[in-house]
Amino acid sequence: MAGGDGDRHRAPKRHKSSAPSKAALVDESAEFDYADDFDDDALDANTEVKKRDFTKLELKPDHANRPLWACADGRIFLETFSPLYKQAYDFLIAIAEPVCRPESMHEYNLTPHSLYAAVSVGLETSTIISVLSKLSKTKLPREIIDFIHGSTANYGKVKLVLKKNRYFVESPFPEVLSNLLNDDVISKARISPEDSLGASSFTISKTSGQASGHEELLNGMDLAAATEDKETHSFEIDPSQVENVKQRCLPNALNYPMLEEYDFRNDTVNPDLDMELKPQARPRPYQEKSLSKMFGNGRARSGIIVLPCGAGKSLVGVSAACRIKKSCLCLATNAVSVDQWAFQFKLWSTIKDDHISRFTSDNKEKFRGMAGVVVTTYNMVAFGGKRSEDSEKIIEEIRNREWGLLLMDEVHVVPAHMFRKVISITKSHCKLGLTATLVREDERITDLNFLIGPKLYEANWLDLVKGGFIANVQCAEVWCPMTKEFFAEYLKKENSKKKQVLYVMNPNKFRACEFLIRFHEQQRGDKIIVFADNLFALTAYAMKLRKPMIYGATSHAERTRILYQFKNSPEVNTIFLSKVGDNSIDIPEANVIIQISSHAGSRRQEAQRLGRILRAKGKHQDRMAGGKEEYNAFFYSLVSTDTQEMYYSTKRQQFLIDQGYSFKVITSLPPPEEGPNLSYYTLDEQLELLGKVLNAGDDMIGVEHLEEDSDGKALLKARRSAGSMSAFSGAGGRVYLEYSTKGKGAPKKPKDPSKRHHLFKKRYQ
Amino acid sequence: MVNAIKGLFISCDIPMAQFIINLNASMPPSERFIVHMLDPTHMFVQPHVAEMIRSKIGEFRDQNSYEKPQ
Repeated sequence: MAGGDGDRHRAPKRHKSSAPSKAALVDESAEFDYADDFDDDALDANTEVKKRDFTKLELKPDHANRPLWACADGRIFLETFSPLYKQAYDFLIAIAEPVCRPESMHEYNLTPHSLYAAVSVGLETSTIISVLSKLSKTKLPREIIDFIHGSTANYGKVKLVLKKNRYFVESPFPEVLSNLLNDDVISKARISPEDSLGASSFTISKTSGQASGHEELLNGMDLAAATEDKETHSFEIDPSQVENVKQRCLPNALNYPMLEEYDFRNDTVNPDLDMELKPQARPRPYQEKSLSKMFGNGRARSGIIVLPCGAGKSLVGVSAACRIKKSCLCLATNAVSVDQWAFQFKLWSTIKDDHISRFTSDNKEKFRGMAGVVVTTYNMVAFGGKRSEDSEKIIEEIRNREWGLLLMDEVHVVPAHMFRKVISITKSHCKLGLTATLVREDERITDLNFLIGPKLYEANWLDLVKGGFIANVQCAEVWCPMTKEFFAEYLKKENSKKKQVLYVMNPNKFRACEFLIRFHEQQRGDKIIVFADNLFALTAYAMKLRKPMIYGATSHAERTRILYQFKNSPEVNTIFLSKVGDNSIDIPEANVIIQISSHAGSRRQEAQRLGRILRAKGKHQDRMAGGKEEYNAFFYSLVSTDTQEMYYSTKRQQFLIDQGYSFKVITSLPPPEEGPNLSYYTLDEQLELLGKVLNAGDDMIGVEHLEEDSDGKALLKARRSAGSMSAFSGAGGRVYLEYSTKGKGAPKKPKDPSKRHHLFKKRYQ
Repeated sequence: MVNAIKGLFISCDIPMAQFIINLNASMPPSERFIVHMLDPTHMFVQPHVAEMIRSKIGEFRDQNSYEKPQ
């Protein structure tokens, strides 16, 4: 590859030219390097490098006062130490995607999607360009200006409107509509009005014919639309095709991003819901800001709000519902969070108890009244099989209702096909997605752009930490060398399936874990969660250390009991959790996490686990920078060196690193003087452990597979069936029959007698 | 009578020594190269294998380290 070549040529030179460039610094430094030796390398410089050569940018005379660098390829670098940082940050977060946000230098990227989001929150093209050029240290490159123009020019020309449970594509420009209809996907999605069947047959062929089609549609238009001085043209589309149409309209296809706004104040068709925020609910500044992006011009926009775990996503959701004041459908990932959401609604808003209903497999509350809040799970709505009579009724109700707000929690976890199902079933004016970690390992995250809408707001984790809104976490990676015997087994080919359990059960890791638990319990009085994905390791650790543990098979009653004790008893300070603890269990008391094994390289899991301890604790002033306790939460990831775990561990940390967290590497745990105080000190003990690990069956050492929270499927298991009384009492008995194996279902006879086992050969001859 | 063999003295940490032992064991008997294990971190090997061991260790390390895609 040419790009790689260029780099290699340059590499030795960079070392000579005394430039103190460390790969760890932001790319910025690398660019200066390129600039240094650009002249002599100009000949073999290829396009890849040229893109990153910014020597030609003209520096403004007063550049020191301006906070950012804008590069021609759409990348923007922001100095966070600039006095203008706050303003520049607010602006950049609106127009660009954050790529990496360490402490002093942020990197952003301008993309068509981010610009689309920017215009959708009300920024105009000219404003974007003028503010950007004001803030930039250099003169804005031509390319950027063109790019911004190109990405934003068509915005707002097309609208998607929901009227009386039917979707319409609306535009004041008929030519734009006919342009859209030239697209196959969109023309297929179009539903031709019944009264103009003739017109629909030539929609694709003639533009003039289409215009008449629009005119006919206009007859059925609402008065509200007609009051705008421009006449609006529209055509109806198939509700199940809405997302495809939206996808076609995105900047990377037809480039007519659809505007989805809900003018809820003037909506007289849908009944109002009587709910207000309680006076004690005071949204924090960043929560206000995210809401203001959503309700920019008095209307509600669809989109996604990204806030870290523990920063109060639910208050944002409840506030949004309170502003819209229409029926609201709230979707959560499982039954536990359904309860939590219902509780949050009651906690923060004045909604009456009988206006809020939960709909889960074991809790089917009918909704009463014209408007209300319904909390349910994605599974319940998307479930495809046969439902019980009750839930069928409720689903029908959900299907028929026109929802003011569709509130979606944890949007990053839900598979795209389930979303599609949910969105095709429920008709809503406005969708709000909430999440902490907008990353997926399968890179399907961009699908959310057309399934829900653009990202409206993303908080900067470090700013929230500085403001004391979330805990200040010290992240550490503890390197535990493998012991001789364990590593020898790890390397053997026949143990390839046991690799994971071998590096997790590494005695050095166990000792480090034991030491950390002891240190935090005794010296600091902390509450500790230990995470292990590997069930074998989870049980082994918990049994050896005599601590309670929770995993998938733990019953609900026992879970509650253990969690209650963990919260209230001074005796129980440590619990072991399998991956059931990643999302759903809310444990505000914990402030230390020790991770002994994890699900491969999932960045999301790492962030979610960190989120378990992010909820701010203690007094506010202590938590501020320079306060009594600068760090009040600890995140340890124990890694066995020289194993695959090192690879996964680095990969997992990427998301948090991009958010500006840094991982401290600790190599000397446990301290040598602890010696025999910790378990597995002698070789004999270690060998015994190794024996146990090697003898464990393959089924025991695997990663835990959680049953999906299949609310819908649980229904099937509890179906009624008719039967005789004696059968139910167990007296039905079995009737045994003798039957010939030559019949239909019988196993086939082997055709070739020579293949028969020699013992049986005689019998058949 | 004293027997002298020319060889290579390797000093490394415990896991890497295990890696080399494992490498040695995976070879056919005629190509095994460890002459003597002195202790868990030191060994004496045939002189010609230095490059091979280096490249194998490099390969192993690469497998275990993650680089952020650009």
